Amino acid sequence: MKIYEDLRGVQARIGVIQYMLVITIGILLSVLWYIQVLRGHLFRNLAENNQRRVITIAAPRGPMVDRNGQLLVENRPAFRIVLRPEDCPDLDETIGRLSRLLQTAESRIRESVALRPAPFRPVVIKANASNRDLAMIRARRIELPQVQVDPAPLRFYPLTAAAHVLGRVGEITERQLHSKDFEGLSAGSLVGQMGLEATYNSQLMGKDGYRRVIVNSRGLEVQEAERIEALEGPTLKLTINYELQKELESAFAGRSGCGIVLDPRNGDVLALVSLPAYDPNLFAAGISPLEWSRLINDDKTPLMNRAIQGQYSPGSLFKIVVAAAALEEGIITPKTNFFCSGQINMYGTVFHCHKADGHGAVDLHKALAQSCNVFFFQVGSQLEIGRIARYAKRLGLGTPTGIDLPYEVGGLVPTPEWKLGLFKTPWYAGETVSVAIGQGQILVTPIQMARLIAAIANGGRLVRPRLIRSIGGRSIPIEAPVNVGLSPDTLNAIRAGLSAVVNQGGTGRRARLTGVEVCGKTGSAQIVARAKLREDSPLEFQPHAWFIGFAPANDPRIAFAILVEHGVGGSRSAAPLAHEVLSHIFHGATISKS
Amino acid sequence: MIDRRVFSDLDWGILGATLLLSLIGVAMIASASPESHKTWATLISWPVQINVPAYPWLKQSIWIGVGICALVGCLMLDYHRLTDRAPLFFFVMAVLLLAMLLGLAPLKGGARRWIMIRSIQIQPSELAKLVASLLVARVFGESRKEQLDTRDILGPGAAVGVLMLLIAAQPDLGTAFCIIPMFVTVIFLAGLRMKAFLGLFLAFVIVLGLGWKYAPLRDYQKQRIYSFMNPRFDPKGAGYQSIQSRIAVGSGGLLGRGYSQGSQSQLGYLPERHTDFIFSVLAEEFGFLGVFTVLFLYFVILWRSFEIGRLARDRPGAFLAAGIAAIIAFQVVYNVGMASGLVPVKGLPLPFMSYGGSSTLFAFMGIGLILNVRAHRFAN
Repeated sequence: MKIYEDLRGVQARIGVIQYMLVITIGILLSVLWYIQVLRGHLFRNLAENNQRRVITIAAPRGPMVDRNGQLLVENRPAFRIVLRPEDCPDLDETIGRLSRLLQTAESRIRESVALRPAPFRPVVIKANASNRDLAMIRARRIELPQVQVDPAPLRFYPLTAAAHVLGRVGEITERQLHSKDFEGLSAGSLVGQMGLEATYNSQLMGKDGYRRVIVNSRGLEVQEAERIEALEGPTLKLTINYELQKELESAFAGRSGCGIVLDPRNGDVLALVSLPAYDPNLFAAGISPLEWSRLINDDKTPLMNRAIQGQYSPGSLFKIVVAAAALEEGIITPKTNFFCSGQINMYGTVFHCHKADGHGAVDLHKALAQSCNVFFFQVGSQLEIGRIARYAKRLGLGTPTGIDLPYEVGGLVPTPEWKLGLFKTPWYAGETVSVAIGQGQILVTPIQMARLIAAIANGGRLVRPRLIRSIGGRSIPIEAPVNVGLSPDTLNAIRAGLSAVVNQGGTGRRARLTGVEVCGKTGSAQIVARAKLREDSPLEFQPHAWFIGFAPANDPRIAFAILVEHGVGGSRSAAPLAHEVLSHIFHGATISKS
Repeated sequence: MIDRRVFSDLDWGILGATLLLSLIGVAMIASASPESHKTWATLISWPVQINVPAYPWLKQSIWIGVGICALVGCLMLDYHRLTDRAPLFFFVMAVLLLAMLLGLAPLKGGARRWIMIRSIQIQPSELAKLVASLLVARVFGESRKEQLDTRDILGPGAAVGVLMLLIAAQPDLGTAFCIIPMFVTVIFLAGLRMKAFLGLFLAFVIVLGLGWKYAPLRDYQKQRIYSFMNPRFDPKGAGYQSIQSRIAVGSGGLLGRGYSQGSQSQLGYLPERHTDFIFSVLAEEFGFLGVFTVLFLYFVILWRSFEIGRLARDRPGAFLAAGIAAIIAFQVVYNVGMASGLVPVKGLPLPFMSYGGSSTLFAFMGIGLILNVRAHRFAN
């Protein structure tokens, strides 16, 4: 028989514990009420940030077609490899692994990661992933969910023509990343770097789409919440005629130089060639350092667009400017004669004509046809440099033409003020004599000369050369040309002279075409002084050969400028080249059939 | 020998709350499972192949069934027969734990916590908590003093200390720690002087401080404590669990995101979601309402368990019921605190709800013992 214990003390203490229990549970509930009800929205946001990802869908760049609809630039399907650094538990480890898998330098990946403009933006690790890369990444989808393969179409240039017109794309540079024009783009994006790709980059890029997806804790996509499709960039319709472009390129037959064919009526560039060129496809996915160094170290500067960036002496082409100035200023009339004995002594210096025994009595017509230096020495010295410079500038020299290509240069029209400012020495009258025949300090670009001759052809209106006719079907209005202010008499006199150059046994007779009256002017841009040059001098000392002109004479539909580097003389190499191209234009059909 | 009163005088409140919590637990475990394993649909495939282990909720249900049987078993015997044999149980348990450390338990994930009986994995440390409760109830139950001195608790303290050390060495700090609140509760009930309490507390703090410095704490253990101090310091590393669990609990709001709709648990951001963090799944999917319900059920169990202790016939009964209740209370409070990011992450299951055979089985046995104390509250 047990005796009941006295448990009162124990019972009282259990009561204490029961109170403590009530308090503890009460505290827990208060804390949970605070977290769940009072701060719930905050944690709800955090939970959503956990699982939401935005993935961009790269918009294909707009294609480019020539004026007849021939496809010049398109896109080809390709894949890029993208990394989301914030999802990496160990970024260094992931980068090391990627570097081994993709055989890319670790430093390159690190650089891309460091360069992204905003956090939480995926970083492009490799733009043009090979099938091997894709297999490597896809096989590790589970282990490397932070790494993703995105479709990202790449530029494709099916015809290796007009590289300098079309331009090229390349990875966005650090400078561009921070500039306003490229706002919102991330490191690794491909943007236009040259040519029309650069000028019309913002239009061509279209509008990237995006996908909002829900991912699990390992970063694997489980569901797509929203999808906005990418908007492909609009089609660019060029003024270029592909057939003509191809013809002009092949006419150079491996020589360096450039050529431009314009429509003098509206400035449409029908062909623009700069040689040597490069294959824009090399740049489509970011060029390899090796290829790049090969291109920039090439003596023949294939990356330079000679038509808009090459600055050359105009040589005898400048006689057109001097003739126009002299006629307008009343220094000469078409009937004014000068005597050429093969040389002339002016300001104590003997200046030579290219024909040692002289042209005899020379008027403007003959002076242009035979490119007589002595005639223009005297006209030039009477005009003086100020007036020559004024007409040169009026005809568009010394400033960029405004063609829709980037990095165009302006050339140089020398004036006494310019010389004083730069060299701190006054202008000598003898220098004017040199400038009168396009030697000396004057520099022009081929596109300027094409536009100048177009103005002579179209009645004295300076057009703005353009390469794009329409964007996405919307045609671009033609800018009203600037009237140079040359009288019809002046223009007629010059045109008659230019016709004689080709059709009356002048220096450009090799450009002559049956059935079509071609007008033109030859020129040679000297590289070393004529006195030092011999027939057997090395090629790089030989002058550049110019030929500019227009056709048909009575109703000009094309104007052109051709420059053959080290082509010796305009009559010898540039004029025959022009002949080839002109026969393609005017007799093209028959030639291709025969 | 079997008293009919055992069944006519059951505490249906405790039993009902326990079963309800277990069912909620099974539902939450199913919610935390992969999509294909939430229902019966893929359970039986053709040719007939029942793949039970892949269905945690089904396994848990089976363990609950086993637990109910064990609970009934624990009710059958008079608890005095168990407390009387407590020293023997203690001895057997200590030997078993030692043998485990010496190799009886295979090394798994860097720990020797489990022994295999055929294909069933058992965690003896869960049973050790009950053994410790029985031992403490027996030792202090024999004392008739109204007040205890530090001296009186040294012996039993050393005994449970041995169990704790053996468990901590597995290592399983969480389970080892559970024994402390039980011991403290019982010595408080047995009448330890306030002064002695303060002394003990001071000694505990000193030991903890020295232990932090010199004890062979594993790196991951230190890491857990560090990361708790400042989870934002390393959100992808050790603090990850704490942060993600807090996000899950918080995003539940008042009414929750719906069953199987919690993004944190369904997309795998929540770690250990069907075991230690099952409460976070509940909080995310059923919100404060669900949390309140569950805590209320725990409160019912605990309140009534202490009540059973208060109405017990003798000291061993009172101490046994209160001691086991203290263990359950500690686990519930700690686990909920962990889910809310209030305390460091420790592998401590939520009784009745977390997925885990041993934890469930021995929790049911603990309830059985408490009900046993009630059933035998009248002397015969």
